[in-house]
Amino acid sequence: MTRWIAPTLVLFAALISCSRRSGNIENALEYPLRINLSSLDPAQSANEATSEVIPNMFEGLLQYHYLKRPLVVEPLLADGMPEVSKDGLVHRFKIKKGVRFHDSPAFTNGKGREVTSQDFVYSWKRLADPATKSDGWWIFDGKIKGLNDWRTKRAKGETEYDAPVEGLETPDDRTLVIRLTKPFYQLHYVLTMPYAAVVPKEAVDKWGAEFMNHPVGTGPYAFESWVRGNKVILTRNPGWHGETYPAEGGPEDREAGLLADAGKPLPFVDKLTFHEMPEDQPRWLNLLKGSVDFAGIPKDSFDAAVQNRTELKPELMAKGLRLMVYPWPDVVYMGFNMEDPVLGRNLELRKALCYAYDQKTANQKFYNDRVITAHSPIGPDMEGFDPDFKLPCKEYDLEKAKDALKKAGYPGGKGLSPIEYSTAASTTGRQFGEYLVQQMDKIGVKINVVTHSWPQFQDRLRNKKSQLFGMAWGADYPDAENMLQLLYGRNVSPGPNNANFKNKEFDGLFEQAQKLPPGPARAELYRKMREIFARELPWIPTVHRLGYMLVHGWVKNLKPHEIVDGHYKYLRVDLEKKKALKEKL
Amino acid sequence: MAKYLVRRVLYMIPILFGVTLVTFLLFNVAGGDPAAQAAGRYATPEQIQTMREQMGLNKPLTYQYFDLVKSIFTLDFGRSWSSKQEIKTMILHGIGPSLTVTAPGFVLSLLLTIPLALMLANRRGSIWDKTAMVICLGLTSISSVVYVLAGQYVLSYQIGLFPISGWDSSWEGRWHYALLPTLIMVVLSLGSYILFFRTIFLDEIYQDYVRTARAKGLPDRTVLLRHVLRNALVPIITLVVLQIPFLIVGSLLTESFFSIPGLGGLIFQAIQEADFPVIKAMTVMSAVLYMVFQLLSDLLYALVDPKIRLGA
Repeated sequence: MTRWIAPTLVLFAALISCSRRSGNIENALEYPLRINLSSLDPAQSANEATSEVIPNMFEGLLQYHYLKRPLVVEPLLADGMPEVSKDGLVHRFKIKKGVRFHDSPAFTNGKGREVTSQDFVYSWKRLADPATKSDGWWIFDGKIKGLNDWRTKRAKGETEYDAPVEGLETPDDRTLVIRLTKPFYQLHYVLTMPYAAVVPKEAVDKWGAEFMNHPVGTGPYAFESWVRGNKVILTRNPGWHGETYPAEGGPEDREAGLLADAGKPLPFVDKLTFHEMPEDQPRWLNLLKGSVDFAGIPKDSFDAAVQNRTELKPELMAKGLRLMVYPWPDVVYMGFNMEDPVLGRNLELRKALCYAYDQKTANQKFYNDRVITAHSPIGPDMEGFDPDFKLPCKEYDLEKAKDALKKAGYPGGKGLSPIEYSTAASTTGRQFGEYLVQQMDKIGVKINVVTHSWPQFQDRLRNKKSQLFGMAWGADYPDAENMLQLLYGRNVSPGPNNANFKNKEFDGLFEQAQKLPPGPARAELYRKMREIFARELPWIPTVHRLGYMLVHGWVKNLKPHEIVDGHYKYLRVDLEKKKALKEKL
Repeated sequence: MAKYLVRRVLYMIPILFGVTLVTFLLFNVAGGDPAAQAAGRYATPEQIQTMREQMGLNKPLTYQYFDLVKSIFTLDFGRSWSSKQEIKTMILHGIGPSLTVTAPGFVLSLLLTIPLALMLANRRGSIWDKTAMVICLGLTSISSVVYVLAGQYVLSYQIGLFPISGWDSSWEGRWHYALLPTLIMVVLSLGSYILFFRTIFLDEIYQDYVRTARAKGLPDRTVLLRHVLRNALVPIITLVVLQIPFLIVGSLLTESFFSIPGLGGLIFQAIQEADFPVIKAMTVMSAVLYMVFQLLSDLLYALVDPKIRLGA
């Protein structure tokens, strides 16, 4: 029987030698997704994997200018920017001519037909339809005249898709008029989101709920295949309406070579492959090997890649890699439940906890210093963000913490029951909890860390059961309103205001700001809201994260931004350089 | 034999009832409200109620339980809440990739470990045996994640023998990606299998019939293969047959690290997304497979060992 051993090993060795393939250099891009892809339906595009893939296939009326910062909205399927009425309530869009859906068996003869204004009405009704179970309904909820009524009737089976909605009018095939219930200056921002993309009724009817596995859009790339848990492949859409590379940008863009392709027709690349790689090591090694073109840096590989916070290690630079660091418009925070009888009614106690939290050490321990310390809910790169604003209690000071605790009525923590800190049951969540316990112990405050599964954690927040909780919010659009709504009184749990913060003055300012277009007057209101936040302290804001991207030298035109989706059409692969650099890897 | 078979199949009914009941209670009664999860973080009670109705969760529990039992017999587990695909199709698509890695890995492991264990048992106490024992104990003491991490780093990244991760749906292409996970599976099982088989062979090797065979002057090879190995087949069959359900269900860890679209990854993602229909289907399917293969191993005992009389 031992004679089996040698042939077995020989066979395996032969298979290994056969398995070594020579890689062809294709005009293609490969990107590793950090989480598994769940859907290719723009109505379900809430997570980072879906928003990386879906906007390459689906398009809406508007998009962000690729290079301009701060972000500027520009037309995509709209023929120019919309006409907006003086009161901001009516937005009249013209649809670009010659925009066609991808070819699909859903259409007669399999040829994609031209997009009309009615397609947008259908797509947005579909978003509103409870049967779609979209996580993106909030973008239109309460904002378009008649759409909420249509949704309510639809839930009861009392209406159909062809029933008119007052706020969505289509005078002709190329005109779409949106009538709002109240001014909503973020409308143009939300229309850039994949949720607002146009989908063809024929394909939704053909595939039903499985439309998420058979996407048909209008974008520069069309769906080719998806093996769940492995990869999704998109290929160039030959019938795309076309666009050229932007000719405008900041001076730093010209310096970075980001305007070298100005005016050239898009897209540059023929094929996109998105690999589902939830584990850090394969993602990292595939990047170093050049099997993927760019990727973020996993936490555990950070020290191997970066020195002095923003410099790439020389050995990686020698391989032709470059590091891109960019701010994330997000906020990570510890929220106090303001309806809690202990924390909610005791500002000094909240201040004590804030003073006692050593943010600097936390930044090193948990984020490799890849963060900006947060002083307010408003994230960087957003209107209303002030880098000079400092929240007084973010200065780590145990003496001030002890004083505040004394003023709160709990000198040295005496008489204060342990505070319950709720967090999601992940390794990082537990580590954060343990760190908090250590920090608060220094002033005599006991913290009881309670971890929950994500659904249980959501349940607790929804039912206002948490005393203190850890949470993060990534901005949906570059307007502070998106962050400040987390503190708006009407949004208390089950809404996104999980701190259940209610302040009449804050709510008044928020409502006033909603009626104003972007500008100094609105910025002043945001500033006032930030002051109220600092005064009342419903959260301890902890950090705004920074994005770190490692990019191979052959990838051109990459300018990452967390809010800008669908950037693959602008990217170019220098094939000669790729061939040369890959030999070094 | 037929009587035994019927009896065993009948025994499976209460076990199946127990499995389905526990699964149902875990997910439908104790596991939180799936409608609230599906409706999203900021859903109002009305929205959650609407979602509950759409998901059929407003039906009486007995009705929902009956649906689960029925699905085992019809093999119609419905559709995934997350991917909207038919669960039956998802399972069928996942079995191939899982088995591509696990089955060859398992066969290779057996081909390597059984002869090695037989040799070591025959040379018990020798320097070879002692060295092998230390190595095997070392191999079993190391976490399986370490093998995966080291395999990817050294063999794929540093030496470049294999792709780091990935998959090809075509049968010709998938071997390219399946080799490293297969090799890791083999290495993972080496230590424990050798220890297990060596113990079994040692139990046999000191039996009187072996001594008699040797006294008769039979060559070592004949003694080991015809007598020792044959008599050790019952525990070997137990291991082999009861391992098959696990081969089908795949390896969660390996599939996750290598982006293999198998059943292990399917379960992992279903848990992450609280996709209860998929979790329920996989739990019930695993239990049924385990019961079926347990029955099969019992039947095989009778074939390899005439002393065993089923149903006696």
